[in-house]
Amino acid sequence: MNWKPNPLLALAGVALVGAPIYAHAKIFVSAEQAQKLIFPNKQFTKTPLLITEDVQDKMQSASSVSHPFKGDRVWRASDGSYFIVDEVVGKHEMITYAVGISPIGAVQGIEIMEYVESYGYEVADESWRKQFVGKTVEDPIKLKKDIENISGATLSSKHLTDGVKRIMVMYDLTLKSKAK
Amino acid sequence: MIRCKPLLGTYVEISTNDISPQNSESIANYAIDRAFDAIELVQKLMGFHNPDSELSKINQRSHLDILEVHEWTFKVLSAAKEIHTLSAGLFDCGVGAKLVGAGLLPQHEGVSVTQYGGLSDLVLIEPNKVTSHKPIQLDLGGIAKGFAVDKAVEALKVNGIKSGSVNAGGDLRVFGESPKEIQVRSPSHPNTLIPLGSLEEGSIASTGLYYSKSQDDMNTLSYIVNPLNMEHIHFNDSYSVLAPECMYADALTKVFAISQDDSHPCFKHFSAQAIRITA
Repeated sequence: MNWKPNPLLALAGVALVGAPIYAHAKIFVSAEQAQKLIFPNKQFTKTPLLITEDVQDKMQSASSVSHPFKGDRVWRASDGSYFIVDEVVGKHEMITYAVGISPIGAVQGIEIMEYVESYGYEVADESWRKQFVGKTVEDPIKLKKDIENISGATLSSKHLTDGVKRIMVMYDLTLKSKAK
Repeated sequence: MIRCKPLLGTYVEISTNDISPQNSESIANYAIDRAFDAIELVQKLMGFHNPDSELSKINQRSHLDILEVHEWTFKVLSAAKEIHTLSAGLFDCGVGAKLVGAGLLPQHEGVSVTQYGGLSDLVLIEPNKVTSHKPIQLDLGGIAKGFAVDKAVEALKVNGIKSGSVNAGGDLRVFGESPKEIQVRSPSHPNTLIPLGSLEEGSIASTGLYYSKSQDDMNTLSYIVNPLNMEHIHFNDSYSVLAPECMYADALTKVFAISQDDSHPCFKHFSAQAIRITA
């Protein structure tokens, strides 16, 4: 192990001042990459869905995720596999993720595409969130450079679990019958 | 290449530094998949929440039977016992029952004993067998995450990755000839980061209560329990430990937070460094 400590750490009693994070964004993979990672050898075609209010309501009550699901990020393969992109918004974070569903309706894989963390009111604010939507590959430079290697944040992945749950509810209500 | 998956109840990030330009992405992806597999296996073996995990079987039946376990489970239990002994009981995974009582861990069916033993009651028999003198409710949450990080790093190396890092919700290990700047969250202002310096071939883990103490619920019980008196510990500072292996960094943060002693002999024994960030 080779650790070169921050020299300020040696000064006992000095309160270390950190750099504030207002928005901390991390981009992992694009939708295309996520698709290849979950289904390495399959061709997908974009098949946008119209989600009825009734289905939105059912998705919400099953998952407690309240912002509406956007049906325009759904892809289908000829064998009935589905690839879906969605995001979950927590108090401090927004996560864009991809779910692959096999022809028999089981989760094939989950890949996190993007993670945005914030500590103000911003995440809950729709217009603030909108600036990130769709910018995963096209415009990464607009997002603040990654701050890597943070120790001490035990962020719970509960929100994401809820997100995947709502995708599976949606699949059950609208896509399952089309899978075959 | 950097990828992230929800595992171990948190987000696990695996990043690899570029290797040769040819096929580098497919090599990296294959290695990262194997690393995620390793973490998934740790979760499957040692998850408290999963009633079918090996850990749950140990909690249900180790006082009745000699159980055969996976070598990874055996390794974590051996390390846990070693740290338990060297810390004179400050580190003890036997606090599971207390966390269940506080609603921080789930109560499984058929578990109704009120007096549980601790790690000292667990008996390890080489190779890979365990039994215990008393009913136990072990929670490996304070050590298995670090172990999972170590196993992921091992999988990356075996599959041709020369340098990179694995970060499981703050339990972080960097490997290869590429030092990384590391930061820790300020315990009083979780939205600020404190730079700790650069780390090469090493691990860091931290313990702080900033995320378990939400403003709307100040009465939430801490998930750190002092095994010597079974009281929940509340603290405002954050405790980080650097060590060559992440499993030890992870486990030793509990020794640090409970002992409040940055020169506890445990740290020297495991070539670790303790850093306290005051609120």
